[in-house]
Amino acid sequence: MKRQQGQGQYVHKRTTQQTMAQMWKCRWLYLMLLPVIVYFIVFKYVPMYGITIAFQDYNIFKGMFGSKWWGFTTFQKVFADANFWSAIKNTLVLNLMTLAINFPLTIIVSLMLNEVAGMKFKKLTQSVLYLPHFISWVVVAGIATNLFTQNDGTINNIISSMGGSKIPFLSSEGWWMFTYVILQVWKEIGWGTIIYLAALTGVDESLYEAAYLDGATNLQRIWYITLPMIKSVVVTMLILQISKMMTIGLDAPLLLGNDKVMGVSEVISTYIYRIGIVRAKYSDATAIGLFQSLVNIAILVLADWFAKLIGEEGII
Amino acid sequence: MAQEATSTMNKKKNKFTIGKFLNYFFLTVLAFICLYPFLNVVAYSFSGYNAVLSGKVTFYPIDISLTAYQTIMKNSQIWSAMWVTIFTTIMGTLIGLILTIAAAYALSRDYLPGKGILSGLILFTMYFSGGIIPTFLVVKGLGMYDSLTSLFIPQAVNVFNFIVMRTFFRQLPTELEEAARIDGANEMQILFKIILPLSVPIIATIGLFYAVNYWNSYFDALIYITSPDKFTLQLRLRNLLFADELANAGGNGEGIGTQVMSQSLKMCCVVVATLPIICVYPWLQKYFVKGVMLGSVKG
Repeated sequence: MKRQQGQGQYVHKRTTQQTMAQMWKCRWLYLMLLPVIVYFIVFKYVPMYGITIAFQDYNIFKGMFGSKWWGFTTFQKVFADANFWSAIKNTLVLNLMTLAINFPLTIIVSLMLNEVAGMKFKKLTQSVLYLPHFISWVVVAGIATNLFTQNDGTINNIISSMGGSKIPFLSSEGWWMFTYVILQVWKEIGWGTIIYLAALTGVDESLYEAAYLDGATNLQRIWYITLPMIKSVVVTMLILQISKMMTIGLDAPLLLGNDKVMGVSEVISTYIYRIGIVRAKYSDATAIGLFQSLVNIAILVLADWFAKLIGEEGII
Repeated sequence: MAQEATSTMNKKKNKFTIGKFLNYFFLTVLAFICLYPFLNVVAYSFSGYNAVLSGKVTFYPIDISLTAYQTIMKNSQIWSAMWVTIFTTIMGTLIGLILTIAAAYALSRDYLPGKGILSGLILFTMYFSGGIIPTFLVVKGLGMYDSLTSLFIPQAVNVFNFIVMRTFFRQLPTELEEAARIDGANEMQILFKIILPLSVPIIATIGLFYAVNYWNSYFDALIYITSPDKFTLQLRLRNLLFADELANAGGNGEGIGTQVMSQSLKMCCVVVATLPIICVYPWLQKYFVKGVMLGSVKG
């Protein structure tokens, strides 16, 4: 605001001439922006034009501009493939399972951390809980294999030494989904608490004091004061997560998946990778990608509309 | 009255209760669950061959042996992958920082004509993109296929980082800048002499964001790189860890001689690839939390 007042011409409607003069004044800024603009055009907007190959009988030698147009033929082909629908189902199932476990658990852990009075203990626990977020999925998958393999994984060794029978964590479909969710939770739960902890520090101390004077127990205090105070953050986060239901990281399913669990581990991103990169069916993979993007945008707009409807901040 | 309440409350806070005990207990268990997999990996990497085979290793190394580390030290593939990763991490972080600072600074100036449209065009790419294949074809078309440039140029700017940085620049006080302008400083001088020195923490944050991303990334190498001598550490690691499976599935290009590696050797690679992250972790954590908070303020 201050800046605007300092340079009075913004208050008035500007003429073309004034705009030109202002642009000339900002020439250094435009010069700085030039490489950025070039980057976004070349690596973001040209690929968007490249989506046209979804509507073409793409030929690698003729390229994007020379290939034959054939409308929605690729889409018809893709939609007729049962694998495509299975990939969509798997994406939704894995995302929903992760959300159902991770979301409430993150809030609970945040509340627990918030209750800790000792700063040292709190800081240390937080540091440890955030750590897995920074570890690459390759490493996590490697560690997971070491822990969960059926034959000589550490956990199965412990189970069998206690007389139990070994569990196929990574090679039976049901257990694989379980392991996938566990690893997602393990990796992201600590990181997810940051946003809630920030909201929790904003809660007014005097409310707690009042509750104490009224004789509220700790649990009552959490239920009637703390939770309502962070309700809006919780709702926003939930809407945000739901709006990402059709998007799934490629790393975890690709690295953890194997032939035995393909029926549940093949998600949209890995399916696109396998069709597009491994089998070089460019048009098909692009069509699937476009479908996914469009569904994503639709969900996002809906979620944003819904958020505003219930009186929360929009998410776009 | 209020003071009295606070002091009684503090007393109550320090009082031992079952609930409090359970809270500390469960958090400790949770922290242990987060740490245990790392302990397990380190234990494996230092354990002797037989102890690993017989499945005795759980918490600490058994028959301590350095064979795995000695083998790794001599392995030229690991070292070349390490150099590739160090190179791409440094280049990617530098280029990412330069472009992000340039974009964020210019577009945080509210007197810049066209800033709305340009910001919009950048933000739009967060919600809609061409997808893997069209991007792949562009990178290939530019002759970057199987070149190290494909590892840090195509994803040079991260839009989230741009938002974080722009939010930071916007909230800087304008007095100094105005004073400099009155003294006749131009945009470049203001950026380098005034804005950047004030922005060291945010630059560190964004730099770490980029660096960790590049260090951990393997997918770009997987799709763009074919020569084994240009493999990144994470891709090499993936090929080592899942060698048996890749061999069954036909693998991706590289034959790796597919000798089944001993488990300690695999875990030793994991340690080597993760150690740098653990070493910078204290700084990481401090700056990352700040970055996340800035990013959640909407621009």
